[in-house]
Amino acid sequence: MAAAEMITIDGSQGEGGGQIVRTSIGLSAVSGKAIRIERIRAGREKPGLMRQHLTAMKAAAEICDAEMIGAELQSQTLQFQPGPVRPGSYEFRVGTAGSATLVLQTVLPALIQAEAPSEIVIEGGTHNQWAPPFDYLQRVFLPLLNRMGPAVEASLERYGFFPAGGGRIHVTIQPAKMLTGFNLLERGAAVSHSARILISNLPLNIAEREAERLARRLNLQPNEISINPVTAHGPGNLVFAELAYENVTELATGFGRVGTSAEHVAEETVQQIREYLKSPAPVGEYLADQILLPLAMSAAQPYTVRTKRGGSFRTHKLSRHTTTHIDLLRTLLPVKIEVMELESDHLVTVSPVDTNQVNNADVLADDPLSENEFFSWKEEPPSSSL
Amino acid sequence: MSKPVHLIGVLGSKLDAGRSQDRWSRWRPSVAACQYEDLLISRFELLHEPRNRDMAELVASDIHSVSPETIVTLHSVAFLDPWDFEEVFSGLHEFARAYPFDTDQNEYLIHITTGSHVQQICLFLLAESRHLPGRLLQTSPPPREGMPGSAFRIIDLDLSRYDALASRFAQEQQEGLTFLKSGIETRNAVFNRLIEQIEKVAIASRCPMLITGPTGAGKTHLARRIFELKRRREQLSGSFVEINCATLRGDQAMSTLFGHIKGAFTGATVNRPGLLMSADRGLLFLDEIGELGPDEQAMLLRAIEEKRFLPVGADHEVQSDFQLIAGTNRNLQEAVRKGRFREDLLARINLWTFKLPGLAARREDLEPNLDFELQKITDETGHRVSMSREARSAFLKWAQSSDAKWTANFRDLNAAVVRMATLAAAGRISEADVRQECERLKRLWQPQDTKDHSTSEDALQQVLSIEKIEQLDLFDRVQLAAVLTVCRECRSMAEAGRRLFAISRQSRTSHNDSDRLKKYLARFGLGWDDIHFEADSPS
Repeated sequence: MAAAEMITIDGSQGEGGGQIVRTSIGLSAVSGKAIRIERIRAGREKPGLMRQHLTAMKAAAEICDAEMIGAELQSQTLQFQPGPVRPGSYEFRVGTAGSATLVLQTVLPALIQAEAPSEIVIEGGTHNQWAPPFDYLQRVFLPLLNRMGPAVEASLERYGFFPAGGGRIHVTIQPAKMLTGFNLLERGAAVSHSARILISNLPLNIAEREAERLARRLNLQPNEISINPVTAHGPGNLVFAELAYENVTELATGFGRVGTSAEHVAEETVQQIREYLKSPAPVGEYLADQILLPLAMSAAQPYTVRTKRGGSFRTHKLSRHTTTHIDLLRTLLPVKIEVMELESDHLVTVSPVDTNQVNNADVLADDPLSENEFFSWKEEPPSSSL
Repeated sequence: MSKPVHLIGVLGSKLDAGRSQDRWSRWRPSVAACQYEDLLISRFELLHEPRNRDMAELVASDIHSVSPETIVTLHSVAFLDPWDFEEVFSGLHEFARAYPFDTDQNEYLIHITTGSHVQQICLFLLAESRHLPGRLLQTSPPPREGMPGSAFRIIDLDLSRYDALASRFAQEQQEGLTFLKSGIETRNAVFNRLIEQIEKVAIASRCPMLITGPTGAGKTHLARRIFELKRRREQLSGSFVEINCATLRGDQAMSTLFGHIKGAFTGATVNRPGLLMSADRGLLFLDEIGELGPDEQAMLLRAIEEKRFLPVGADHEVQSDFQLIAGTNRNLQEAVRKGRFREDLLARINLWTFKLPGLAARREDLEPNLDFELQKITDETGHRVSMSREARSAFLKWAQSSDAKWTANFRDLNAAVVRMATLAAAGRISEADVRQECERLKRLWQPQDTKDHSTSEDALQQVLSIEKIEQLDLFDRVQLAAVLTVCRECRSMAEAGRRLFAISRQSRTSHNDSDRLKKYLARFGLGWDDIHFEADSPS
């Protein structure tokens, strides 16, 4: 591969983690352009690629027939030369070294715009502390992604907790030729709030204590809390608190772990909910990071009359993770990403760089009355029922 | 491209155990070894005892769940008693021999965290002896049960890969070198290289060594230093035994070397262990080994090869395990050709041959050796001996010139320094002392023929006046001197006559050799008593 046509990424920029590797590879698969990532995880205690990155990379390489140079443990330089994306049936076994959700995130960008539908089975860890849990993908991220055109359905066939793993998720992907952007500036009316506790191979009273604490702190009715004993290898315990609105859903997660009391796990979840409710912004810290990529993909598409490219969202605070992601997307895609500080939150706007070819939809992005918008401005205070 | 990592380990019958779901909350080393984020095991050869088959299968399936990249192969190895060293070692050794290692394609790790301590020791030994050509993997539990944070270490037994250890070894080696050189900072490159080799061989080998070199080059000294170096490194526990084979003559030679038992021969009133026995677990230095008689050579060969030999008069062989260093200034190859030295014995002691150069070939080492000799005298006498700067540079200038032959090498240097130190006023050697010493050395090193000539002149001067000698032809002077020398060595005129006329007397009927000699001496006005008197009281 000629160096000239290759984009070189500094893997140590910003928070310098595995996200840079996954996003770069995911977009390389979409664009068909080779990338070279240097200084991967430089400055970390264990620099270079770890197994979880390798599993995600290998999955991405498989769906687009990519050639990789430097895809080995501790490697700090990786070249990824993608071929054409091949939609179809895939089964990835990632063990506990790679989280199933992180692998899915890496292959999704290419498959949601592929020529044909795909069906993916991923076996391994579905719920571990260092990756978004499956429920987050299913409840929060995928509904938003599906509003952009594709139809991605994910189901959990088996739970895979750390360290035993053994989980299994099943994902079907109906791709969309074009990704339609959106503006997400308002939560909309509150639809529901609830809490759910997963427990496996552990005394049930752990879940009961967590439920009790959640109910008290979040003012939940008994019918709004469910305890869900699940079958899995090894012990597992998670606490979810979900806030569903008209336009968006937020899911807070607490991980039960050795050395941390049930009450503390519940409190961690409550804390995340309180953080989310501090501002009226609809997009939580993690979601901001997740939707930037599809939004930037839509903004990078060639101009057509019908498709809205890019969009905007309001988010309470930008993590270092997210600002790194923004910088990376600016490097990888022909997009403009602007962050405007508002009184209590931030407005992030993602737009095409070829603004002279503004189409109807782009113009309407700033028009609150546009029917092309998914979500409209409604100056209402956020729900305070919690 | 790094190679795929293959792991070899023994199933831990306690640590890896567990059937219920809560096994996942415990640290199971064999499973955990496949879960490290920065270590990918592509194959795991898991050895287990036949009775632990179920446990091994469960561990294999759990590994498959957490690390689908890892192919686990179970090997049933019957140790019977995992604490029996012999059984475990042979079981693992058999596995190692049969296993198709391919170190070009794969990298191997040996998991030494699981299994009985004996199994761990055996794995270590097999890795150290390269029967298991891999590095050791040591895993450790997380700081708290059920938490992440289990750690691992890869230990390479190739010690040269560790910088700190390498420098430590280098320092130790340097100490060894300095030690062999008795702390003398020698500058001669050939000699320094030689000492480096000797140091390596001395540390690594117990095989015989042969030190060649001219007399006085320091063979005995070096042998003793080698012994002391080996004893410091605890390779030898016995003593240093040295003998000059030139002093071993006749019947006593066998007995001196190999010992005898009481009553072996007349005068053998007690058991004598012999030098080889005295050198048991120590070092035997046989100097001038070329002088050894044929019987002794044969016996010595057996003693070296079998570490056993038969003392004189004994019915049973005795054992002695000694390190042999042989010294010689003779060309042993030549001696073999002439049939004076056994070829097989030479081959046996010739494995490591070190040729010590003479002092004349190491002129740059004169200065440090001069300091060493001066210091030695100071140490021995308790009086500080020094040289003035002029004296020192004068001595070195001459000593390093081609005028200085140093025929007896360090023996000459030592003698020179001793003489200068003895004659020096108030322990300070002056330029005049040096000049005198140089003259003495020059005389000592005069070519052999002139020396003989002068010796014969001496012989004449002892019995004749200078005037009388000056009246003699050179022809007569030389002949008379030779005759006088023989006479001085003999006890009677008859004995001298027999030696002087040894050839011609064979063809004569009457043997009046003393008369012939008496008449010859009379020509110069000399009688037997003139000579004999001198001979009895040498000056």
